[in-house]
Amino acid sequence: MKIKLVHPRFLFKALLLMTLAMVVLQTVRAQDDKLVAQLEQIATLIRENKTGEAERQLGIFLRSRPNEPVALNLLATIKAKQGRLNEAETLFARAVDNNPRFTGARMNLAYLYLEKREPAKAVVQLREVLNLEPGNTEVMVMLGDAYLATGATDEAERQYLDALEGRLDNAGALLGLAQISRVKGELKETTLYLTRVATLSADSKSPEFLYKFATIALQAGMSDAAKAAMENALKLRPNEPAYLLTLGIAWIRKGDLFEAEKAFRHVIQLQPNNEPAQIHLGYVLLNQKKYDEARLWLEKSARAPTAIPEVFYYLGLVAQEQNDDLKAIALFEKAVQKLPNYAHARIALGSSYIRLRNYPRAKEELETAVKLDPDEPKAHYNLALLYARLKDPARAQEEMRIVEKLKAKGASTDGVVVLPPNPNPR
Amino acid sequence: MRSLFLLLALLAPVTFEEVPPQVSKITWTHNNAQSVDRQLPETVGAGCAFLDYDNDGWMDIYFVNSGPSDFFTPATPLKNALYRNNHDGTFTNVTDQAGVAGGRFGMGVAAADFDGDGYVDLYVTNYGPNILYRNNGNGTFTDVTDKAGVATTGWSTCATWFDFDNDGKLDLFVSSFVFYDKSQNPLCTDATLQRRYYCVPRLFKPTPSRLFRNNGNGTFTDVSRQSGIADHPGKSFGAVATDVNNDGLMDLFVANDTMPNFLFVNKGGGKFEESGLAAGVAYGEAGRPRSGMGVDAADYDGDGWQDLFVANIDHEFFSLYHNDKELIFSDQPGEIAPSTHLLSGWGLKFFDYDNDGDPDLFLVNGHPDDMIESRIARVRYKEPLLLFENTGRGFKDVSATSGTVFSKIFSGRGMAVGDFDNDGDLDVLASNNGEPPLLLRNQGGNKNNWVGLQLVATKSNSAAVGAVITWQAGAAKRTRLRTGGGSYLSSHDPREILGVGQASKIDSIEIRWPSGTTDRLVNIPLNKYIKVVEGAGQSR
Repeated sequence: MKIKLVHPRFLFKALLLMTLAMVVLQTVRAQDDKLVAQLEQIATLIRENKTGEAERQLGIFLRSRPNEPVALNLLATIKAKQGRLNEAETLFARAVDNNPRFTGARMNLAYLYLEKREPAKAVVQLREVLNLEPGNTEVMVMLGDAYLATGATDEAERQYLDALEGRLDNAGALLGLAQISRVKGELKETTLYLTRVATLSADSKSPEFLYKFATIALQAGMSDAAKAAMENALKLRPNEPAYLLTLGIAWIRKGDLFEAEKAFRHVIQLQPNNEPAQIHLGYVLLNQKKYDEARLWLEKSARAPTAIPEVFYYLGLVAQEQNDDLKAIALFEKAVQKLPNYAHARIALGSSYIRLRNYPRAKEELETAVKLDPDEPKAHYNLALLYARLKDPARAQEEMRIVEKLKAKGASTDGVVVLPPNPNPR
Repeated sequence: MRSLFLLLALLAPVTFEEVPPQVSKITWTHNNAQSVDRQLPETVGAGCAFLDYDNDGWMDIYFVNSGPSDFFTPATPLKNALYRNNHDGTFTNVTDQAGVAGGRFGMGVAAADFDGDGYVDLYVTNYGPNILYRNNGNGTFTDVTDKAGVATTGWSTCATWFDFDNDGKLDLFVSSFVFYDKSQNPLCTDATLQRRYYCVPRLFKPTPSRLFRNNGNGTFTDVSRQSGIADHPGKSFGAVATDVNNDGLMDLFVANDTMPNFLFVNKGGGKFEESGLAAGVAYGEAGRPRSGMGVDAADYDGDGWQDLFVANIDHEFFSLYHNDKELIFSDQPGEIAPSTHLLSGWGLKFFDYDNDGDPDLFLVNGHPDDMIESRIARVRYKEPLLLFENTGRGFKDVSATSGTVFSKIFSGRGMAVGDFDNDGDLDVLASNNGEPPLLLRNQGGNKNNWVGLQLVATKSNSAAVGAVITWQAGAAKRTRLRTGGGSYLSSHDPREILGVGQASKIDSIEIRWPSGTTDRLVNIPLNKYIKVVEGAGQSR
């Protein structure tokens, strides 16, 4: 169900900052000033994105000193920047093997493992770093993040609390605690942590941090905070597709489909084949009842072999709205085939069968939908419609009473369509 | 060269042009009585009408105004207004002479000849008791409300004249809005505004609408309960009488605000059955009631079945319900939906503005909350008019090319259509809340050929509501059911203009009257109004 977004542009950015400035000086200076100068020059080339030249010079360097940890670390960084993660992993690991106290390389390896969604391996590296640098709060937060990714929430919480050291000014730790609260379903605590993070100085927040904040805020229902964070992130990095996408989702949650549409169109302008943006644009156009264009974008996504069930569901809704229920049914069936427990697709199937006056099939689909999601008012409304058509006013009224009850409970019936899944990569 | 000019003139779009007060001499302005307490009745009015009260063959105009109520005492007396058509594009205010000033907190108006004496009467709805003005035939009216038995209490909105029992007499349906008095006005405000805004009707209790059967002797009997209408309390605004199942009995489609709409299906024998849910016209998607305001009915796709339209509030979309037969409708708004996403619709009417033979759609919009702009992004208090042209398969938004008035914004409410300049195309009258009204002259609708019918019933109800008109010009055959009411708080020119496009002659017109009588007309002159007497055919 998750759409994986890849963000190569900022992958390993933090890693670069750390390795180039700090590690080169600390590790090599003692050995040889000439070597230090040479590696610093290579580091500068990497920083300036002149990776070809940096790689060439590193090749020469490593021919004479094949196990030099700093050089291996730098070459690994280049490979990571190029998206060649396996090669990067091997090189980082060699750097660590050659100098087990090289915390920079271990941190890089940990970043890499997190990026590869291998958080358990990241935990191992980060624990080593923390042993070497016991008071490093940045490592604690990162270790907390790694634990959280493995599902070890208690360990994660301990790391975040250690990082805070009783002071509520470590934004990363607070954000981690917010995530833990959200996982535990403690909405009030999540909101409190996020609110605290939002009040901390914006200067200390990198775009990556703001992005992470926004994705958690969205999950916690704080769409205003998410929107503000992404607007700030976009000031720092105006054309980052992932940020624009998240901003668009925040606008959807705020109910402004027009701003959302703008954000998704911007993403597509930058990355014409960005599938999540296409799906979300299709979604907002569908909800604005601009069916022809919605269909165009959704069909692009539907052609991908990895197309998510939602795409077929939305396309089905477009067909339904354009009065082609047979086509709609075929599309809803496809969605259900991909995701048998897809309650909304079942409801839509029921609705199309009602329109085709195939009431037994409609009943079957709607009853399945109610079993899958008893609190979805749309299913009960369609059942009410069905029973009214079948001249059974008592059951129709009974279903409408359920709709009313669910609405009173706060079940949403405002949106025509449920949102596509959040394409947040983590 | 002349033929080129002619061709260019034919290709030029039909437009609607404002007739300014300096030209029309209509200086009346609606006073909405807006107060800091934001009493709900202030924001929903008012209506307007085209009617020929003096039978001179020219459409006169009536406007409804606010007036004294339990929450409002006007500093100077407020009046409804009757403007007599001077036949030259100007109007004269004859309200006082005619005796139709109202004097209550007015809402809507429905004009029809309820007593069949050949003169059109007026039913004015109010927040408070309604008024039935009987036309004396000499330019004056008499308030006969009590004598006629159509007095009401509470808050009435739209009134609709139609003949529900096919006895040849006009009956009266009166929409009733919420239970309200000044003590029922809860505090609706927010921290940003720190002052009241108009509360949403969801907070108020519904009330049943009323149905009055015409006894034929100047009096009416309240049959709300017997008919089943009173079993369904609503928050009703617009209503239209139409025949949704082609059984010859007029049904009622009634818009409700924050409640499911009603489709009262006429079962005969004086009974109605509410079938909105089964018909699919009661709720929006997911079973959520919407804020229905204006309504109308027409067979927009020429399949012989009456379709329905209802305008809602912003973000709810307006609905065009296609009649799928067997009392089932499907919402197929097409291009209308995205165009109305952010709008709140009130007055609206299906009519053939370009005389090509099919019904187009005109919408008057405006948000009920004058402070909405500080609360919801992109939604405005004053909103533009919209015009949709019937393409045969749906509707196309032609507002942008239909006159500069469509680029302006208004606090639109009531809307009536009528040919006030007798040039053979339908003009528009819109009433704006707390603002001067808008008279729009249709420019170019009569480039296509037409025939105007003045239907004079002898056995059927005097408004010929329920009559089915079929006309043929060459291969094109069109049918129109004469509906009752429609729009919002307003009343329309009773004549029927039949457009035939560029056809140079009209082969036949057939009128099937509600009584069952059929008149067939041949050798019909084009581009003229003709009077058609039931059972006698064309009289002149």
